[in-house]
Amino acid sequence: MKRALAIGLLALVAISAIFAPVIAPYDYSRQFRESPNAQAGHQFPMGTDDLGRDRFSRLLYATRISILLAPAAAFVSILVALAISSLSGLRSTVADQSVSWLTTLSLSLPWIFLFIMLRALLPLNTRPEASILLTFGLMGFAGWAWPARIFRASIRQIRDSGWLIEARASGISASRIALVHVWPHLRAIAIAQFRVLIPAYILSEASLGLLGLGVAEPLPSWGNLLAELQHPDRVRDNPWILAPLVLLMLVMIALEALQPVREQLREVVS
Amino acid sequence: MIHSSETIGPGQSGLSRFFMRRIASSLVSLSLIVLAGGFLAAALVRYSPGFDSIPEDLDPAVSPATLRALHEQHLKENSLPRFYARYLARAAHGDLGISENLKTPVSELIQRRFWVSAKLILLGTAGGWLLGGLLAWLAVWLRRASITAAAFSVSGLLLAIPPAVLALGFFFYEAPLSLALAIAIAPRVFGTFRALLAECYDSPALLAARSRGIGPGAVAARYVLRAAAPQITALFGITLVLAFGSAIPIEALCDVPGLGALAWQAAISRDMPLLCGMALLITFFVTLVHSVGDLAAA
Repeated sequence: MKRALAIGLLALVAISAIFAPVIAPYDYSRQFRESPNAQAGHQFPMGTDDLGRDRFSRLLYATRISILLAPAAAFVSILVALAISSLSGLRSTVADQSVSWLTTLSLSLPWIFLFIMLRALLPLNTRPEASILLTFGLMGFAGWAWPARIFRASIRQIRDSGWLIEARASGISASRIALVHVWPHLRAIAIAQFRVLIPAYILSEASLGLLGLGVAEPLPSWGNLLAELQHPDRVRDNPWILAPLVLLMLVMIALEALQPVREQLREVVS
Repeated sequence: MIHSSETIGPGQSGLSRFFMRRIASSLVSLSLIVLAGGFLAAALVRYSPGFDSIPEDLDPAVSPATLRALHEQHLKENSLPRFYARYLARAAHGDLGISENLKTPVSELIQRRFWVSAKLILLGTAGGWLLGGLLAWLAVWLRRASITAAAFSVSGLLLAIPPAVLALGFFFYEAPLSLALAIAIAPRVFGTFRALLAECYDSPALLAARSRGIGPGAVAARYVLRAAAPQITALFGITLVLAFGSAIPIEALCDVPGLGALAWQAAISRDMPLLCGMALLITFFVTLVHSVGDLAAA
């Protein structure tokens, strides 16, 4: 029942995000300069922001960006983690230790700190479209360490197994062993990690958007829509400002409800 | 007696050898990670935008040939290995460079703000452990479906709120920000702590203890906490890192003059010396905490 509800909610959110251009009454950047900060009504279902943009339309487009790009970033993280942790399977202590140190080094910096360090290296005044790629791309590249640690533990477990020794003995190249033999064994863990990373990236984008380091205006994302919460007087006047937060929380709760693999993951880590 | 001392003797020396090896291995790991972190920090500063410009670039009196020669000399003097060696030598003496934006030594800026963040992070972590630990305890120990479901629901709800939004709410209602940090950390502690407690709860030793009528407090102190001490120490290290990560948006949005706000300002103004100095110190402290955790586990 809980899972069905969660899947139903996520499906609804995903459909409304995909069909945002059809459902949204206006374009996300269209400004109604004669009605800034308008109350919710027939014309604007959730009112307008201080630039006179329709909040409902912006929320739909923001959902599209946040909910569709977080899985893409999670996918990048999984790929990078798989590539790096595969070095542990080379039966070289130096390679294995290097992976271990690199992972520990990455994990020793708080994720958000690592992100803002990388973000600071790149131009801050990028085009809005480029800011989406930068935000989610950097998230993907910076978030490899957690899955890599879990992949490494699994690879260390299977690297001395009979079938792998046989594969090596029959002269199969290391890259082929990784791609054809080892990676399919990691599929279940990769899927579990992918599902764990999605809510983490949605939440991270929200924090980065609030800090002004996420997706750039006028493109909407849950993060930059939440920035309006910094004005409590506006929230009192128009509680619809809380809609992105409520939607984000609902999606997070639904994603959390679909995480049956935590215990298995913990076993792998231990 | 002689027999027992003979058997204990080598065992103790074996144990101390084992610990010496672990300490040596932890120190080597710590040094390597800090060296690698230092290298990355130095590389980021070295290749940050604007590093290759020199003051003479703005002087119209300098001829292009002289300018070219000056640039070549600047590049030669600042090749990555040389720059790294100088950066490390200075860092070893506590000199992490000068903040480009604030024109103040990085070490001085960090010193000034360290205690503000330390107080927030320590209070937040302690609160998070109390809240998360209590929820986990209730979920595992009372074994009532309603309480377990309530604990999971509270944890799931807290996990769904971005820490920065929580902090804004607390800031506007003038509630302590460390409580916002505690609420952000609590669900992370709950998840791992509950699993640990559940594992201990079902162990034969605890079943025997409970069947002898030993109370929950005594069972917790004598068996559970002792048995789970290594994992708890490791989890503590992880929550400290999490707390610092969550403190960055909290401090930046709520005008707390701590290290998190400093990191955010550095990112906005692209102040690489400041960001890298902070990264080096954070890497050192976090790796130290993890090493202590590993040793405790051993």
